[in-house]
Amino acid sequence: MAAWTCRFLLQRGTRLVSLRAAAESPVQSVGFIRTVKTTTWFEEHLTEDNQEYMRKSVAEEYRRQTAEKLNPLKDEPWQQHEWTEGSRRVGLVAVKLGMAPIWTKTGERHVVTMLQVQDCHVINYLSKEEYDGHTAALLVGGKNTSPFHKSESQVEMFTNAGVPPKQKVVTFKVSDNALIKPGTPLYAAHFRPGQYVDVTAKSIGKGFQGVMKRWGFKGQPASHGQTKTHRRPGASGPGGDPAKVFKGKKMPGKMGNVFVTSYGLKIWRVNTKFNVLYVNGSVPGHRNCLLKIRDTVLPTRSSTLLNPPFPTYFTEKEADLEEDLYDENLFVHTEPSLTMT
Amino acid sequence: MAACAKGLDKLIFSLRSLRNLQLRNERGLSTSVCRPSPREDNDPPKFTPPPKPVVIDKTQTVASMRKFLSPEFIPPRQRTDPFKFSMERKDMVRRRKVLNIPEFYAGSILAVTMADPNASGKMNRFVGICIQRGGKGLGATFVLRNIIDNQGVEICYEMYSPRIQSVEVLKLEKRLDDNLMYLRDALPEYSTVDPDMKPESCSTSGEVPVNKIKVRMLPKPWSKHWERPRFGIQGIRFDLCMTPRQMEFVQKWAQPWQEYDMLKEYDTSRLEEQIFSEVQREMSK
Repeated sequence: MAAWTCRFLLQRGTRLVSLRAAAESPVQSVGFIRTVKTTTWFEEHLTEDNQEYMRKSVAEEYRRQTAEKLNPLKDEPWQQHEWTEGSRRVGLVAVKLGMAPIWTKTGERHVVTMLQVQDCHVINYLSKEEYDGHTAALLVGGKNTSPFHKSESQVEMFTNAGVPPKQKVVTFKVSDNALIKPGTPLYAAHFRPGQYVDVTAKSIGKGFQGVMKRWGFKGQPASHGQTKTHRRPGASGPGGDPAKVFKGKKMPGKMGNVFVTSYGLKIWRVNTKFNVLYVNGSVPGHRNCLLKIRDTVLPTRSSTLLNPPFPTYFTEKEADLEEDLYDENLFVHTEPSLTMT
Repeated sequence: MAACAKGLDKLIFSLRSLRNLQLRNERGLSTSVCRPSPREDNDPPKFTPPPKPVVIDKTQTVASMRKFLSPEFIPPRQRTDPFKFSMERKDMVRRRKVLNIPEFYAGSILAVTMADPNASGKMNRFVGICIQRGGKGLGATFVLRNIIDNQGVEICYEMYSPRIQSVEVLKLEKRLDDNLMYLRDALPEYSTVDPDMKPESCSTSGEVPVNKIKVRMLPKPWSKHWERPRFGIQGIRFDLCMTPRQMEFVQKWAQPWQEYDMLKEYDTSRLEEQIFSEVQREMSK
């Protein structure tokens, strides 16, 4: 919208100039209009044809880049190590599609959230010193986005990795044996059915809420002589002795729109063709939001991680992977109906 | 759906045999190539379907020759990625290839056999009138209602649950409304179905018969204000339980402008066409 307005002004400016037969210089009129902003839109000095060409060529280029990166093993990968107990792998960035029911082989119904891994690439590697002095880290980006509305410094990281710019970039702490070369694509088959994951995302914003919704306070009864007191917090602390309200007192305020992690969600099914993960239960965030998935940190669930693809799943190493990987307890819809015994 | 596919198969088979005949005739005339002829001769017996002369099956194929798409295939109007629904549809089609879920509507009489760990024989068959179809995608449900020992019983079945063994349509018909939840407040005779009912063969013509019965209600209070325009119910005899003055009074809840709200329009006809052809293709695979 802003770009459009700007162009309109420019055209009008030039027309004015031409009418006045170059009484003023066009630079001045343009400069007058452009006092508001300091940057240029990418299409500001381009004709519509050129814009079209730019868009097309860039899209082509990104498609080519993605296709090239599909074979990271050809491109001298970094040294790969064996999986050992206690090493931390990289995770994924995925898009939340929505929820669906599944059934187990005992006939129980569960709900799953479908998460799709779209254009997930390793963007950068931060060594121990660069990151925090304790562990190395990998930056992973997901879901391609347009480069036209990003500044050059923002795009620099992606061009170094040789991948299209990403909408979301997250950091994963990894152990030293799990490093992956920047530019490597990551797939849903990185996680396997039966293992447990943690999912982090920004929860849905609820706005300014009272204590009943925000903290689950009980409120007051609807009747029995209440005057203007039904959903209020009540007393906020002890009286005379401390004579203050303690810090961190639960009070009304902004709710939601903060990063939330749900821990220990089981993976029921992985679709390797469309890169869809079926994760048990609900995950934070709205539909189509981008979230971060990693192997769970719960000590009770870490035993489910037996011999995972390490450091990640490479299409060439495991070429014969089936389209759908199911958990052993999951009912597959091609099987005949269940009978109870 | 599966029955429809069967019908299609038959049709395709007959077409194919016709073509084979033609080809053989041509070949007989030309007498040029002898290589494929023995294979061609072997082919037709391979294609002959196993004998399945079941009378019920026949009526059902005829009935499902109608172009019918189960309503749970149509995605709700929301901002979810359509890809999610296509993934769900794949699973639904897979399940439908194993379990034949016939065409039915609210008002049809169904018999559902379900594996039940608490039932004797671990199997439970329930016959009732379908009063509601709900849910989209894999989570689709339908509610059956019957009156057993003077006690109203409703069971909500998940359509794609693996515990469902079979779904039979005993009587295929529509009613004046798409949702018959008001049968809870109607006289019990309207939701009583004989549990040993035999399947009725419905008319073989294109349209599903509409039962234009209007039910008489129990005295108020009802579970919901069925007389309000929000429900738009046609199948109740309001003249027996309400005075004209009351009927007029109820109109104050009407929102006649709603039908002109273009933002609330959701035209699924094109979507339905696409999904129907997709499902047909997948089912015939």
